[in-house]
Amino acid sequence: MAAAKRKRGAAAARPKKRAKGDPSAPEPAAKPGPDGTSPEEYSIPAPVSQGKWKNKERVLIFSSRGINFRTRHLMQDLRTLMPHSKADTKMDRKDKLFIINEVCEIKNCNKCIFFEAKKKQDLYMWLSNTPHGPSAKFLVQNIHTLAELKMTGNCLRGSRPLLSFDPTFDQEPHYALLKELFIQIFSTPQYHPKSQPFVDHVFTFTITDKRIWFRNYQIIEEDASLVEIGPRFVLNLIKIFQGSFGGPTLYENPFYQSPNMHRRLIRLSMAAKFREKQQVKEVQKIKKKETKKLIEDDLTETVFETPAEEKLMEVQLAKPEPKATVKDKRKPRKIQRKRQKKLFRIEA
Amino acid sequence: MKELRRPRGRTPSVRQGRRGRGRRPHLAAWEVRAGCWDKTPHVGVVQRFRELLRSLALSVLGALTTRLVKPGLTPSADGLKQCLSEFKRQLAWVERLDVTLGPVTDVPDLASNSTSDKDAVDPENDFQREMSFYRQAQAAVLEALPRLHKLQVPTRRPDDYFAEMAKSDQQMQKIRQKLKSKQEAMEKSEKAKQLRALRKYGKKVQTEILQKRQKEKKSMLNAVKKYQKGLSDKLDFLDEEQTSSQGNKKGSGSQRIKRGPNAKRRYKNQKFGFGGKKKGSKWNTKESFNDVSSFRAKVAHNKGPGKAGKKALNKRPGKRARQKMKSRAR
Repeated sequence: MAAAKRKRGAAAARPKKRAKGDPSAPEPAAKPGPDGTSPEEYSIPAPVSQGKWKNKERVLIFSSRGINFRTRHLMQDLRTLMPHSKADTKMDRKDKLFIINEVCEIKNCNKCIFFEAKKKQDLYMWLSNTPHGPSAKFLVQNIHTLAELKMTGNCLRGSRPLLSFDPTFDQEPHYALLKELFIQIFSTPQYHPKSQPFVDHVFTFTITDKRIWFRNYQIIEEDASLVEIGPRFVLNLIKIFQGSFGGPTLYENPFYQSPNMHRRLIRLSMAAKFREKQQVKEVQKIKKKETKKLIEDDLTETVFETPAEEKLMEVQLAKPEPKATVKDKRKPRKIQRKRQKKLFRIEA
Repeated sequence: MKELRRPRGRTPSVRQGRRGRGRRPHLAAWEVRAGCWDKTPHVGVVQRFRELLRSLALSVLGALTTRLVKPGLTPSADGLKQCLSEFKRQLAWVERLDVTLGPVTDVPDLASNSTSDKDAVDPENDFQREMSFYRQAQAAVLEALPRLHKLQVPTRRPDDYFAEMAKSDQQMQKIRQKLKSKQEAMEKSEKAKQLRALRKYGKKVQTEILQKRQKEKKSMLNAVKKYQKGLSDKLDFLDEEQTSSQGNKKGSGSQRIKRGPNAKRRYKNQKFGFGGKKKGSKWNTKESFNDVSSFRAKVAHNKGPGKAGKKALNKRPGKRARQKMKSRAR
């Protein structure tokens, strides 16, 4: 509080980290200052508590056991970016998935993001509307977290995101369903007590290469110059279920290849290469050992052969005649020229 | 537990208990029971009829049947649409803040690959792909910001509004450090490159100057030697540096005579005069070795007609004679 008062006069662009608390508290204090001084393009908005929070969405974000550090950081990043989220302890893998519905009910959440790690390599993500609604399972790849130093943007903690979707989402029914799911899960409700009233970052969902790519950008200027904040990941849809964490399958992605299958194919291709080489070698061996077929002389081939004329071997016994040189009588000989020059020199 | 295990559609009463008529107020109870809203195989008259028809078609046509259902879309797209219509919430745009737009097309790039068609973006080409995401975000922002301003939702944070950020100050410091170090490294390498280039140029200039000096020294020494040997009695070489600059400026007729033989003659004198070129004169090349043109058999065997003074001139005079010559010239 004191810190905020001190800095009010100075035009410091860098944000100052405050103690974790109600972000709406300093707003009434800061409000009379800028409003009274000059009319600006923007003004401090009304505190969040003044608006009525109607859209009661709560998302439970948690994971199973056996996740690695990257997944854990991704989870934490999502919890930071989404103020309407709740955390929970890791779920034991022995329990069946429908238990998650109960957990959500206990926590009074109506959406869920559940991370499941298999073999300590593959990460699966469930997005679900918990009591009855549809759920979807994805394979998550190419995770980059907020902490990566290449992502230089920053945004307010709890600010509301703008969601940007690819036009492809409207073209297929399963994508339309996924779009609705994303909107309901990722958009922060207005006037949520933990949210900030500003809209300063944008989530993009794009469909490329039959996968959904997620990016998070910070809006710097009004002319849409953006900087990436992170995190970023790629979702590969596996199935959409009608129920939450179960129920009949509404859609199955035909382009999905399980990571096990992928690894197996790679191994098979390597093995196939090796096997092919071996086979080629064996065939060559067999060929060598085969009795070779003797080809008879074809008499008709020699029809057009004409023997070349024999050249006589000339042995040089006499010395070759010297070349006839043509002398230029006008030009004095070399020695005479030299003599003349010397004379000239001596006499000079 | 039990409720959740039971497949949906069998007990609409359960759902009705929670929210009255349930989530399908537009359907009557019998319709719900009949399963018109659900496409699971074990419920529904309509569904059963459809399945019968399908199996009939398959059995009759045999191998020639085309699949009535697209692969991957089981049972049908209707199920998805139905689910979507149930699941969809009618919220004001300001609650959802979603924009569906393709990427911004760059005007100068129209000829190449930036088309509105998504297939043009090669997913393997990282830069192109990330640029397409960036442009999509830009398009969304450009569309949404005016709308937000109309709804009086702020998008710009005032300078004195301090609140917690998603990344801590420490993290931002680290990022700044990294960027700075990268820039410094680049600058250093640029400077090193420039220095190297400068050094090379400097070295070149230096060698040129040294060579020039050596040439001058050599020519000066040659001129001095010539004067010493008595082959030229002009002391012009001392004044050469001074007169040459003056001579260039004037260039009148009288000066021309002083210049002596023309350029071609001077070149030939330099190359062949005063005994010829000294450097490289002792090369025994194949041609010089095989060249017997300067062989006079009669002279060699002392059989030719002797011309007056020929012997004396052909033979190189002895040491005494040569010294005498020298002293005589001086």
